[in-house]
Amino acid sequence: MRNLFTKTLYDKRTFIIGWVLGMAFIGYLMTIFFPAFHQDNGLDQLIKNLPPAMQGLVGSLDNLKQLSTYLGSQLFDIRMPIFLSVLTILLAVGLTVSEEDKGQLRTLIALPLSRTRILAVKWFVIVFICLLAALGVIGGVELGLLTIHETLDYQVLVRLGSMMWLLSIALATTIFSIGLATGKRGLTTGIGVIVTVGSFLVTTFAPSVDWLKDYDKFSFLHYFPAPDIAKGTVDPMNVAVYAGITIVFLIIAIIAFRRRDIR
Amino acid sequence: MTIPVVSVDHLTKRYGSFAAIDDVSFTINKGEVVGFVGLNGAGKSTTINTMLGFLHSTEGSVTIFDQDVTPQTAHKTHQEIGFASGDMSLFSNLTGKQYFKFIAGRFGLHDMTRLKELSDLFEPDSNKKISDLSRGNKQKIALIAAFMTSPELVILDEPSSGLDPLMQQNFVDLIHQETAKGTTIFMSSHYLNEVIDVCSRVVLIRAGKIVKDIPAKELITDGGKMVHLVSKHAVTPPRAAELIEKTKSEQGHELTFVYKAKPAQLQQWLSGVAGLIDVSITDHDLKAAFEDLYELETGQHA
Repeated sequence: MRNLFTKTLYDKRTFIIGWVLGMAFIGYLMTIFFPAFHQDNGLDQLIKNLPPAMQGLVGSLDNLKQLSTYLGSQLFDIRMPIFLSVLTILLAVGLTVSEEDKGQLRTLIALPLSRTRILAVKWFVIVFICLLAALGVIGGVELGLLTIHETLDYQVLVRLGSMMWLLSIALATTIFSIGLATGKRGLTTGIGVIVTVGSFLVTTFAPSVDWLKDYDKFSFLHYFPAPDIAKGTVDPMNVAVYAGITIVFLIIAIIAFRRRDIR
Repeated sequence: MTIPVVSVDHLTKRYGSFAAIDDVSFTINKGEVVGFVGLNGAGKSTTINTMLGFLHSTEGSVTIFDQDVTPQTAHKTHQEIGFASGDMSLFSNLTGKQYFKFIAGRFGLHDMTRLKELSDLFEPDSNKKISDLSRGNKQKIALIAAFMTSPELVILDEPSSGLDPLMQQNFVDLIHQETAKGTTIFMSSHYLNEVIDVCSRVVLIRAGKIVKDIPAKELITDGGKMVHLVSKHAVTPPRAAELIEKTKSEQGHELTFVYKAKPAQLQQWLSGVAGLIDVSITDHDLKAAFEDLYELETGQHA
C-alpha cells in the first residue's frame, strides 16, 4: 500500500475481481457450447440461410467445426470485443476523469509525484488489469475444455490471449489519453464509445456492406483477425499497429496532462 | 534574517476575459504563519491551486524553496509541503490507517512518532473506510496527513471547516506547536477569530486582488469602538472616526461611527457635542472590523 501502483490496484480490487471472473465465465460458457455447434447440422443450414449482411454477426460456418477456430470466431472475434469495449471504457474513464471529478487527482498531484509518474503508474495499472482480463478468459476456456473433455494446443490460446491483451491496451490507452488530456468525462466517454462500438460495427458489417470495406482499416478490430490468429497466423503488422496506437496516445497524454489545469 | 519560502509575484489567472486572480503578489518568510482571508470567490483557492501546481498561471510566477512552480515542476517542492483543504477528496476506498501508510510511503517516512502524536490530538476513526467517515473525521485524516511528514511549509485551504469546536481548538493548538517549531504556514480561512489566534500576518484578497497585507495584531487593534449618539443638532464626527451612518429621526440627529484613536480624545470630543441626547459606546467586533477593511480598501460593502 506504500506505492501508487499497489494502492491503485487495491482501489480497483472489486472491479478487477468482477471483470476477471466475468471474462472467465464468458470463456467457460462459450467453450462448453462448442459440442453443440460442432454436432448440430441444423445450425449449418440456419447459417447458410442467413442474409449475407447478418453472417458477420455469427461468423463463418467453416470456423465452427474446429475448436480453435470456433473459439477464435465465436469467443474472441464476435463476443469478446463487446465486453472489451465496456471494460476499457470503464477502466480508462475510472482512472482518469472519474478521479478528477472526485478531486482525488488533486490529492495525488499534491504529493511529491510528478504528473508523468502518476500517468505512467496509472497506465501500468491498465496494462496489468487488461492482462488479468485476458488471463481470465484463457482460464475460463481451459476450465471449459476440461468440462467438455477436449484439448487444445496451448499456443492457440497464448496467441489469442496476447493479441486480445494488445487490443485492450490500445483501446484503453486511447480512452485514457483523451481522459487525461482533456479531463472531460462526456468527451472521454463519448469518444470511447465511438471508438469501441464503432470498431465493432465497422468490422462486423464490413464483409457484407461494400462501402464500409474502405473504412475497416480504421477499426481497432481490423487488426485482430481472431479466426486467423487461431489458425496460427499472427501478422506482425497488426502487433505493430496496436503498439503504434498505444505509443502515440501515450505521448499525447504525457504532453497534454503535464500542461493542463487540474480541477 | 528573513528567508523567503514562498514568493508570489504578479500572479494572474484568467479564464477567458475573467480574472480569477489579478496581479497577486506577496512573500511568505520562513517561520511565518500567514492567514489568507477573503470572501467566497475572492481568489483564495485559485491562488493556492496555482501555488501547488494544479493550475498554470496566465501571468506572473510562484517560487517556493527557490523552485519556480509550474504544473510540470510543482512536484519538486511537494516533498517539503503538507497540504490539506476543507473539501479535500481522500482516497475513499482506503481506511485512515491505509491512507497514512500510503502518504508515509510517498514521502519516504519511516518514523511514525509524529503520526502517533497527531492521532492522539485529533483521535480520528482511522480503522474505518474513508468513504464511511463523517466530514469532520475526513478532515481530521486530511490534517494529520498534512502534518505527519513534518513539512517545512504547510498550505491549508479552509482547514478547519467541518471540525467541531473542540477539534477546532485542537487545530489552533497544533498550529501553535508548529509555529514554535518554526514551520511556515499559509492558511486560508473564513474564521477570522482562528486567523487572529494563530497568524502573524493577514493577507486580504477581494475580487482576485490583494487589498491588504498587515500584521495580524493590526487587525485586532483595528476593531476600535463603535459610537452611536443622538443629538438635537447635526454633529460632524471627530477626525479619527470612520463614519458608518448619519441620519435624522424623530429622536434627533443620529450619528454612528467607529473610533480607533485614544479614548481620552473621544471623551473630550463628546464633551463638546451640543444638545447630546443619548450616547452608546460598544466594542467594534472583529468581523465588523474585517468588513470595514474591505470597505476602506474597495469602497464597497463586503
